[in-house]
Amino acid sequence: MPVSPETLDEASSPGQGLAIAAESLYLINLLVLPGPGFLALLWLFFRQRRDAPPLARAHLRQTVSASLWAGGLLILANLLIVALGGYDSGWTWVVVILYFTTAHTTLVVLGILGLARALAGQSYRYPLVGNLLP
Amino acid sequence: MQLQYKSQAVAKPYFIAAIALFVGQILFGLIIGLQYVIGDFLFPAIPFNIARMVHTNLLIVWLLFGFMGAAYYLVPEESETELHSPLLAHLLFWVFLVAGALTIVGYLAVPYASLADMTGNNILATMGREFLEQPLLTKLGIVVVALAFLYNIGMTILKGRKTALSIILLAGLVGLAVLFLFAFYNPSNLVKDKYFWWWVVHLWVEGVWELIMAAILGFVLLKITGVDREVIEKWLYVIITMALVTGIIGTGHHYYWIGAPGYWQWWGSIFSAMEPLPFFAMTVFCFNMVNRRRREHPNKAATLWALGTGVMAFLGAGVWGFLHTLAPVNYYTHGTQITAAHGHLAFFGAYVMVVLTIISYAMPMLRGREVNPERSQVLEMWSFWLMTVSMVFITLFLTAAGILQIWLQRIIPSPQSFMAVQDQLHIFYWLRWLAGVVFFIGLVVYLYSFFAKDKPQTVEAGAVQPAAT
Repeated sequence: MPVSPETLDEASSPGQGLAIAAESLYLINLLVLPGPGFLALLWLFFRQRRDAPPLARAHLRQTVSASLWAGGLLILANLLIVALGGYDSGWTWVVVILYFTTAHTTLVVLGILGLARALAGQSYRYPLVGNLLP
Repeated sequence: MQLQYKSQAVAKPYFIAAIALFVGQILFGLIIGLQYVIGDFLFPAIPFNIARMVHTNLLIVWLLFGFMGAAYYLVPEESETELHSPLLAHLLFWVFLVAGALTIVGYLAVPYASLADMTGNNILATMGREFLEQPLLTKLGIVVVALAFLYNIGMTILKGRKTALSIILLAGLVGLAVLFLFAFYNPSNLVKDKYFWWWVVHLWVEGVWELIMAAILGFVLLKITGVDREVIEKWLYVIITMALVTGIIGTGHHYYWIGAPGYWQWWGSIFSAMEPLPFFAMTVFCFNMVNRRRREHPNKAATLWALGTGVMAFLGAGVWGFLHTLAPVNYYTHGTQITAAHGHLAFFGAYVMVVLTIISYAMPMLRGREVNPERSQVLEMWSFWLMTVSMVFITLFLTAAGILQIWLQRIIPSPQSFMAVQDQLHIFYWLRWLAGVVFFIGLVVYLYSFFAKDKPQTVEAGAVQPAAT
């Protein structure tokens, strides 16, 4: 990864605070307050999506997209596994717990990478679950 | 290329010994992995309990070699002065190596009870407890080595520049030595025994070792990213505060079912639920520093190890620790393969990787060059991925085994016996062993990377040669 001039710039970039807030809310939704964290992120997104600087807009779009995917991957997919495998089977729980742990952890690690990029004033695209960057 | 301080060279034999013992640890890991599915493999030459003891003891010893090597490399540079006594460091190296080797030979060659008789366990009984199986003489040797090592490092820091990095490292090393003293306290009351046993085991890996890890990681990131020291120090203060605040009272998650007072279920659950926080911060710290780097360091392998340490420590110690740390969950998961899954990924992610990080950064310089040749680095990065991915799979297979074990042994209306359940977990144990073989291949690639050289550039026939000047 080459060093960009942006990397060398110590001053905070426009919209960096908002970008950090977006990434933090994404992680809060996954780790501490599932639901309220997402609602707060949505509120921030709809309030700032037009006027915010490009860096903040990019992080807001990425985190909202990734959060929606997270909802599907963590809630719907697990309900489907339980529905198909039956509640009363040890193997169902092997699949559910392993799937939930790996999917959730992957989403959290992506959030950590996003937060680190926001802290450095850089944009970040979530692999697979993020929006395409312009 | 010359070292900044000549005495840093004493780190080299420590790192070499650490890697050699690492190989031994993995070989014994493969043996016990196979014994899970072929019960009499190598029996009676190497019984399971002995092989497991060698596997875990080698891990501890090689990590200690790694920490000491790291300290000998890091402290002179941070303190801007030569090591107080390189001779003492060399002497301690041989004492520790010989004592460690004799202990392992003792485990393998003599029945454990006879070893206890031969080494003075009847004078002060300290043996027979998991991870603290070492004979009394070895334990005393560890104390002597640790004291002399701390004297050497402490005097160096005292006479030179005091930095946050070196002070955090020293605090971690002092804590390591002091807490080891509880290995000598072995009350006949089993509850008390277990209670204080955790003061060594837990307060090492979820307490003071985290300080050592943070200091080593901070040092390497400082060197490879060129980020201001103040920025790195601020991150370290936050990380170590969170590590100590959560880790010390988090010891309570080991007190749930051992006869300790019931309030530990609350204290243990609440504080250990917060234990992932320092590892979370460490991951953000690593990536943030690399994102904000001021220069492109040519040692790409060391950067990869540093970033990997952050992520894997968070997964192994943070996520897999949280998985079974709450008392109502632990009621079911206690002592199952879930614990083994957590132990493997946490030790690898946090401590194995941080030692490999400092070796990756320092070893080229200890061998007289700034970085390894390109091909060597590529091989090292291959070994990183082979070992890391296979360890993730080891963890996933053990987790799967653990979930099924809990279901069959503790959830269903007619719970099955331990051994009946073990028979049904064979598929996971085989898969875990295969992942272990891949890990070993990664380790072989890692070893080979030290000897790999860049291929000489070939010039195609007919190509225009630059004119000689």
